[in-house]
Amino acid sequence: MIEIDRVSHVFQTSGRQNHLALSEISLTIENGAFVSILGPSGCGKSTLLYIVGGFVSPTKGVAKVRGKAITGPGPDRGPVFQEFALFPWKSVLGNVAYGPRQQGVKHAEAEAQSRRLIEMVGLRGFEHFYPKELSGGMKQRVALARTLAYHPAVLLMDEPFGALDAHTRTRLQNDLLNIWERDRKTVLFVTHSVDEAVFLSDKVVVMTRSPGRIKQVVNINLARPRRRAELLLDPRYQKYVVEIERMIDDTSEDKLQP
Amino acid sequence: MISGHALISRLAPLLACLGLLGVWQVAALILSTDSFPTALEALRAIPSILGDKESLINILASIRRMAIGFGVAIMVSIPLGLMMGRSRGVASFFNPLLMVTYPVPKAALMPIIMLWLGVGEVAKILVIFLGVSLPVIYHSFQGAKAVEEKMLWSGAAMGLSAMQRMTRIVLPAALPEILTGCRTGLVLALITMVTSEMIARQSGAGNILFNSLDMGQYDTVYAMIIIIGAMGIGLDAAFEKLRSRLVRWSEPGFDIPLSFA
Repeated sequence: MIEIDRVSHVFQTSGRQNHLALSEISLTIENGAFVSILGPSGCGKSTLLYIVGGFVSPTKGVAKVRGKAITGPGPDRGPVFQEFALFPWKSVLGNVAYGPRQQGVKHAEAEAQSRRLIEMVGLRGFEHFYPKELSGGMKQRVALARTLAYHPAVLLMDEPFGALDAHTRTRLQNDLLNIWERDRKTVLFVTHSVDEAVFLSDKVVVMTRSPGRIKQVVNINLARPRRRAELLLDPRYQKYVVEIERMIDDTSEDKLQP
Repeated sequence: MISGHALISRLAPLLACLGLLGVWQVAALILSTDSFPTALEALRAIPSILGDKESLINILASIRRMAIGFGVAIMVSIPLGLMMGRSRGVASFFNPLLMVTYPVPKAALMPIIMLWLGVGEVAKILVIFLGVSLPVIYHSFQGAKAVEEKMLWSGAAMGLSAMQRMTRIVLPAALPEILTGCRTGLVLALITMVTSEMIARQSGAGNILFNSLDMGQYDTVYAMIIIIGAMGIGLDAAFEKLRSRLVRWSEPGFDIPLSFA
């Protein structure tokens, strides 16, 4: 369980001004839930994810994982970034096996595990390719496999499909859901796409424009496993999308704070 | 089969060298002064230099100094540059020092160094060290600074400590840039090696060169220049081979993105 308790974050702009990125965020995420954080760009949604990851310390408030305050990054929380952040000097296999090797898994065992994961993300046959030789979608598959390889309890996904074309994006969303259905990890997924958030999530946290506040948390009550083709025709899905889109468009958001 | 184009581009460097020697030969024949031997005379002097035990010892001593100066310099400069690239504090401490040293020709420090350390090995190695350090520090610094934050975060999430992130992420990620600095450093090592031997004449390739100049053995002077030049080309080519092997993963020619979701 992730508990975010009145977390605020202030950072200094290059003009030496204090900018309030997040204001008094409180949020609880249950184990095994797929939660999206949705908001316009610059609303601090990625910062919130980085705070849970332990990459950024909150200025005020506490974020806890399984009851313990987060003080830094750890293998219980695995990030997947929009920028992929693969190790370019390692092959696909080397990248995926990196985490297990770091955790002391024997070489042969780490490789066997990694090969299974590479197959799971659909990259069988590409084990010895270098990141430079892969397309964006393939890189993000590798990044996902690399993170899954060290078995984090929580996946922290920072607009992971944001840099991909629409077709690749859809394929990766489907594959991510399939993978998630198997082990139901807790997922915190940052996105600015309403469709994506509704399609994937149990819960969509809608944030306001800067300074980021939680505007509303919408529970998505759609059956799983979800199939894209069926969902797009489902009026309930459409209703969620329209409802959330309106929420984001609404400019008088200050009155609507929780 | 090598196509016509490939053959031309492979032979081009050789043709350029032959062309240069040809121009030299003709110019020397036209001018015909003692101080400007023909290309053939200079080339003919090479075997006698390399066959002479004394000269060979001198040249090997030069190479040894160069290797030590270069080796120590990269062992100090790479870690320093990397730390500067990742820590604002370290960078702002060393930056002014480097900015002051950067424009000073390292050979110009030779007289002072000789006053302190004499004309022996240490003084010359120190000058080579100084000559190599700056480009290596600079490129290591740039390389480390450019390492993507998210890459380091990914490592931190896997449980890599700050020190491990430095040696296992920053170092390999910055390697292409570091090696570019080393390549410049290698050529500078050769240059400072020769200059230091010109100033503190005692032994070495630079010493042979200037002694023969004093004695008016111009063919030897030119032959030494060819030998030093060839050493430079050889070292650079060997290093480039090593470099491209080490950073094959980052080479632009290697960049063949596949279209596959």
